[in-house]
Amino acid sequence: MRDGFEIVGIRRTEQYPASGSQSRRQGKPLVSALLLCFIAAGCLACKWMTAKDPSYLNLQYHSMPPNREFIFGTDTMGRDIFSMIWYGGRISLFIGLVSTLLTTFLAVIVGAISGCASGKVDAVIMRGVDILLSVPELLLVLLLQAVFGRPNVFSITLVIGITGWMRMSRVIRTEVRQIRNSEYVTAARCMGGGFFHVLWHHLVPNFISSVMFMVVMSIRSAIVAESTLSFMGIGLPVEVISWGSMLSLAEQALSGRAWWMILIPGLFLVVTLVCLTNLGNHLQRHVNRRHSNL
Amino acid sequence: MKINRYMKIIGRKILLLAGSVFILSLLVFYISRLSPGDPLVSYYGDRAEKMSPQEQEWARDRLGLNDPIHVQYIRWLQNAFRGDFGISYKYKMDVTAVIGGRILNTLLLGGIGFLLIFVLALLLGILCAWHEDKILDRVICKIGTVTSCIPEFWLSLVLILIFAVSLRWFPSSGAYAVGKENNPADRVRHLVLPLTVVVMSHLWYYAYMIRNKLLVEVRADYVLLARMKGLRKSQVMFRHCLPNILPGYFSIMAVSVPHVLGGTYIVETVFSYPGIGTLTYESARYQDYNLLMLLSLITGITVIVCNMLAQAVSERIDPRIRVDDEGAYGEVEEL
Repeated sequence: MRDGFEIVGIRRTEQYPASGSQSRRQGKPLVSALLLCFIAAGCLACKWMTAKDPSYLNLQYHSMPPNREFIFGTDTMGRDIFSMIWYGGRISLFIGLVSTLLTTFLAVIVGAISGCASGKVDAVIMRGVDILLSVPELLLVLLLQAVFGRPNVFSITLVIGITGWMRMSRVIRTEVRQIRNSEYVTAARCMGGGFFHVLWHHLVPNFISSVMFMVVMSIRSAIVAESTLSFMGIGLPVEVISWGSMLSLAEQALSGRAWWMILIPGLFLVVTLVCLTNLGNHLQRHVNRRHSNL
Repeated sequence: MKINRYMKIIGRKILLLAGSVFILSLLVFYISRLSPGDPLVSYYGDRAEKMSPQEQEWARDRLGLNDPIHVQYIRWLQNAFRGDFGISYKYKMDVTAVIGGRILNTLLLGGIGFLLIFVLALLLGILCAWHEDKILDRVICKIGTVTSCIPEFWLSLVLILIFAVSLRWFPSSGAYAVGKENNPADRVRHLVLPLTVVVMSHLWYYAYMIRNKLLVEVRADYVLLARMKGLRKSQVMFRHCLPNILPGYFSIMAVSVPHVLGGTYIVETVFSYPGIGTLTYESARYQDYNLLMLLSLITGITVIVCNMLAQAVSERIDPRIRVDDEGAYGEVEEL
């Protein structure tokens, strides 16, 4: 608007620096990746991170605010929060990863079968998925958890894994529908390739890019699910340390105004989730660098 | 002719709804009865443990829990058709009465939350798309990503810690103070914190969706034409781009009712807000079978009806989507 006119529609190409190193680094979630690696490494190396036993109940020093001896303070049962963070993170991350593996596996199988099947079978499977989706997730988890009885790490992983695959399987089905009639798939079939051969060698490589994002997000939602369940008292019991079960002492912490018991595990949780989201978004970003017409 | 077609479609939808509800009820009925735990404890409280085996047997018989599951299911179905959903073991009242006393609280929380999310997401999305890639947009995007990552229960805890425990501005639990049930101001005070959590945890998801859809729209050629004709930026945005993305937004919001509802459940439990959410949690945990059945049916029906509504809306607005087009549902994309 410098001299009364605004020129509309010119594309100022020189705005994008063509130089190599800077643009290559731009947009890549380096900080997130580093932070995530740091947290994961700390959890894996929890034995060397801290000399204290996270499950030792030092009742003499219960509910201590952060100090030199206990960097992050202690909880109402006298356990050292600093070492609990690392030991607990191991379990939280484990549940996130393993249940995502399960979720992905189920989603790929159901999605691929539904995508390849005839109209009727496909319709039945998708209706079933719809019905499962119509049960609130919390209720589904609650019911399944009740079937498994006393919760432990594996039952929680299993429950979260088998309640999370529905959305992903729908996406995979749509993708498979689009490519199942391509010539190379038909060719592979004609040459005698079985269902799993075609699935693994032809279908999976095609939809993997669109599903990768959902996989990363599913790690995120699995971690959230575990911590929410443990917090509500239907997930891991207090003795099994995870970021969620640490927060299940929150009620006592609130009445004692022990902010460190709530904020510190929660911050670790949130930082991990934010990093995962950034990574996932990076995987998904369809680079749309066309200039805006507006 | 046309009316006939509509009747057919509506008939099919109702049939579909009935079928889904039937399967859903069967599913919940079986799973809840397979789970370990004793409904007697929920009925008799601590007394259940002191009862002799004969007494327990008698009590089970009286509640009809000794029959095979399919007999129980058929009996439940017959009663349900007559509008009798049984009594809640814990409250010893008709389940409809128990739910009726609480559903308004949830509707209040969920309804206001949903409306706020709907409007705020639209505004925020437009704001971000307007300032694409400028500082404001980037800052909002960063903040939004972080807030959308915070688990609902932790956000609730932090808000309670700050505003209820430390500052004492808002109460930390319940829907009203004792004796002030009909005082609107008191209700609002109790709603502020739960509502904040519901809105904050869902808002960015939808705002981001609006933003991205607008960014795609803004790159269309007609925008260039409109600008060349001399329309102002705001005119193009509000008259051309926005109406184009709204139908998609409507149908996605309809599909996402259960998302918001599910979030409300967790928030209710943390704030011990007397609504459907806390009730569902209790009934599933303590084997209050009849209550659980009706609650899951209510949520299930809401979800299915919302899905159908979404489909109907998008068909109405965009006739290109055929009646039984595959995958016609507006899919809620993960953020």
